[in-house]
Amino acid sequence: MDLSLKYQDVLSDNKKIKTGGRLNRKTDLGNFEKTYKSEITGIIELTPLEKLFQIQIIDQDERERFSFKPGQFLMLEVPGFGEIPLSISSSPSRRGVVELCIRKQGRVTKFLHKMQRGASVGIKGPFGTHFPMEKFANANVLLIAGGLGLAALRSAIYYVEENRNMFKDIFIMYGTNDPNQMLFTYQYETWKKTDGIKLFTIVQNPDKKWSGRVGLITDLFNEIVIDTSNTHAIVCGPPVMFKFVCNKLNDLGIPMENMFVSLERRMHCGMGKCCRCNVGSTYTCLSGPVFDYWTVMNLKEAI
Amino acid sequence: MIFKTIDKKDFNKFLEILIENNSFFAPQKIAKDKNNKPIYDLRLVNDFKEIDFNYDILKYPPRRFFLPYREAISSFEIKNSSWQQNINYETKVPRILLGLHPCDINSLNKLDKVLMLGDYPSPYYTIRRKNTFIIGMDCDPKPFCFCRSVGTHTVQHGCDMFLIDIGDRYFIEIFSNVAFDFLKKVTTKDITKKDDDEYKRIRRLKAEKFTAKIDVTDLTKILDMEFQSDVWKEWGDKCLGCGSCARVCPTCYCYGIEEKIDLKFQQAEKLKILHACTLIDFAEVAGGFNFRPERHIRLKYRYYHKHRGFVEAYEESLCVGCGRCGEACLAGITVPEVISSIRE
Amino acid sequence: MQYLGVELIKPKAAFFDFSCCEGCQLQIANNENKLLDFISLVEVVNFREILTERNNDYDIAFIEGSITRKDEIDRLKKIREKAKILVAFGTCASFGGINKLKNKFKDIEWVKKEVYGNCPIETNDKVMAVNEVVKVDFYIYGCPVNKSEVEAIVQSIALGREFRYLKHPVCFRCKEKQNICLYEMGKICMGPLTRAGCGARCPSNGNSCIGCRGPAEEPNIEFMKTIMIKNGFTERQIRDKFELFSAFKE
Repeated sequence: MDLSLKYQDVLSDNKKIKTGGRLNRKTDLGNFEKTYKSEITGIIELTPLEKLFQIQIIDQDERERFSFKPGQFLMLEVPGFGEIPLSISSSPSRRGVVELCIRKQGRVTKFLHKMQRGASVGIKGPFGTHFPMEKFANANVLLIAGGLGLAALRSAIYYVEENRNMFKDIFIMYGTNDPNQMLFTYQYETWKKTDGIKLFTIVQNPDKKWSGRVGLITDLFNEIVIDTSNTHAIVCGPPVMFKFVCNKLNDLGIPMENMFVSLERRMHCGMGKCCRCNVGSTYTCLSGPVFDYWTVMNLKEAI
Repeated sequence: MIFKTIDKKDFNKFLEILIENNSFFAPQKIAKDKNNKPIYDLRLVNDFKEIDFNYDILKYPPRRFFLPYREAISSFEIKNSSWQQNINYETKVPRILLGLHPCDINSLNKLDKVLMLGDYPSPYYTIRRKNTFIIGMDCDPKPFCFCRSVGTHTVQHGCDMFLIDIGDRYFIEIFSNVAFDFLKKVTTKDITKKDDDEYKRIRRLKAEKFTAKIDVTDLTKILDMEFQSDVWKEWGDKCLGCGSCARVCPTCYCYGIEEKIDLKFQQAEKLKILHACTLIDFAEVAGGFNFRPERHIRLKYRYYHKHRGFVEAYEESLCVGCGRCGEACLAGITVPEVISSIRE
Repeated sequence: MQYLGVELIKPKAAFFDFSCCEGCQLQIANNENKLLDFISLVEVVNFREILTERNNDYDIAFIEGSITRKDEIDRLKKIREKAKILVAFGTCASFGGINKLKNKFKDIEWVKKEVYGNCPIETNDKVMAVNEVVKVDFYIYGCPVNKSEVEAIVQSIALGREFRYLKHPVCFRCKEKQNICLYEMGKICMGPLTRAGCGARCPSNGNSCIGCRGPAEEPNIEFMKTIMIKNGFTERQIRDKFELFSAFKE
């Protein structure tokens, strides 16, 4: 009598069901760990701490399939060092090429800062929720960032720039501690030139060269007049900052459901498996990183 | 569902063939504690005689057969400034696990929801889950078992067959086609009214034996309300932050990735290592900021995930009431005590 | 050598032994199948157990042992001046180790007599860990050190990255090996307090953890003592465990 179990080839069975050969990590078992091999095509030094990495997927087919929405993140792999979650800073209209603004902070990022153009890294993604730009149509848009938060906000700025007619008034507000922490300064002129986009910058601790505004980012609200009944906001920055900003916006009359923030947590997978980005009763990687502020208010320890 | 009965001696013969034909894991005595009480766990058996049917509880959960404590998920060949990734989706031969209790089978069902049935299914888990034949066995509640409170004291699915001891025979619940085909090759009987009565009697007796329990009524809300409660601090003062609870938990699935480079700098390996939410660096991010800097906060989150977050996502608790964490905790932190302390 | 296009650092390393058994150096010398790879990471210029030649030009100094004599203090200070990175190598160097048990005694003359008899001995009254004399950049814990951890640390130096010590206690790794808790077997164990990284070697072989790697990050020492007492261990048994390597602060 033979009672031996037969091996079930789950991977190829899965392939049979999901035909077409499209790479879809969300449903296809075989693509779980697939990393798109990519090349660092450019490195721009933004500040002594932050560099902008331009990264292109090497395989043409993979490159054409790769697209993302503003606010989404990806997992960047440096073999031997680790995988880290990073917001995508570039325009969502550019396929297969991403720009990542990376601060020299942990083990992976410190090594990345030593890497040169032409070296290979890996990317997985995009993952997570995005800023619901389509919901902002025909409304005023406030794009508010503090410090490194501009990295996450930048793809939304590209979006409003490229789809200017979709929206009414657009305000970009950016604040940092010091003037030399300001990111993407070389783009401010271009942003301002786009019809009707108003850019406000402010620093807390000015140096001798600084001639602009001094104060907290919330001070900027004294300068602008907005129709709060038809305004949406995206706020990116450290939790202390977006807490103050969102409360201020709420006081001005904008419902919390119309404000969107991006949360940062430790992540090891980006796919709701490792639990490390667990916040309150949910995961940052699946339900976030972009949350509306009402949800954040209801999540324990989100801020 | 299909029910059968089988004489124990026929069933033993059935096991002998299964052992001979397959990689077969069953309960064995692995040690004795300081009071000379035997400790049991699953071990590979080559002979039917090695199986110990007197086991009370499996010391470590069977989770490790599906979600190992550490595994290499992929590797990289490094060549100059470029590399090649090799992904290691394991394709081990199928195996059989005998003697899983309802709590353990239900724990796998819960893991299925996260790792196999939802978005981004994990091939590492799915391959093992689909290639493991599980023979469940009924049990006697121990003083620390509170599975009944969370509804995991019976098995609805998740194993191939489930056995209930009714004297000289086993009452078998058949869950899978494979199990049905296997059993066709040995002598089984259709159930009689007598078997039926005996089954019900035994189930009733079992239900009466539970002593430990937790009250899950409105627990999600109570956990929210008591989020700032000082009770957590009291438990935090006791917690050793050693992660033993997560190590013996049948449903804990959180992990960390660690990458290693060989000494020649030619290869990098990506290891997935199960982590624990009570360890100090669980929520620490680059630069050293820790989202959960204190022991009591980490311990609270353990409960919050098991009894609040998972309930919100899947409408059931992630705890199966096996009581292993309480037994393993040197500080004596048990789920029933923690839950009742926050309900007070 | 380079890694992903980034040039690696190949530092010159020297090993120095102070008051110790040299067992930690032996761990490296014994690691035959990987020894060649190991010495390709660093240029070893001074290592009594594997080299006859000596060279006093080095970047990293591995200091083994605790500091017990006056001449050792002077020698250590000189090494510190030369070394770019100074590593406390092993438990004696990191905490004082077994040698430091001496500091517990009030009558140092009695100790000398008890240990050395009538043999003349030159020794300080107090034993010191390396960081009580000079600044330490890295610690490699363990009695003896764990070879793979040493390799990982040296590799980190070559890659110019910070080494990440495990922050959790030995228990976590011990349970991974599916051991039966030694408390269940009626033994006392320092596993719940001691820093992991040794692979839970002792408890996996049925021996109590004796805390040679020192405390894990934020150990719950206070309540662990209560647990030890509750498990029927005497004050003396507990003190023996805590004081053996002088690694746990009172």
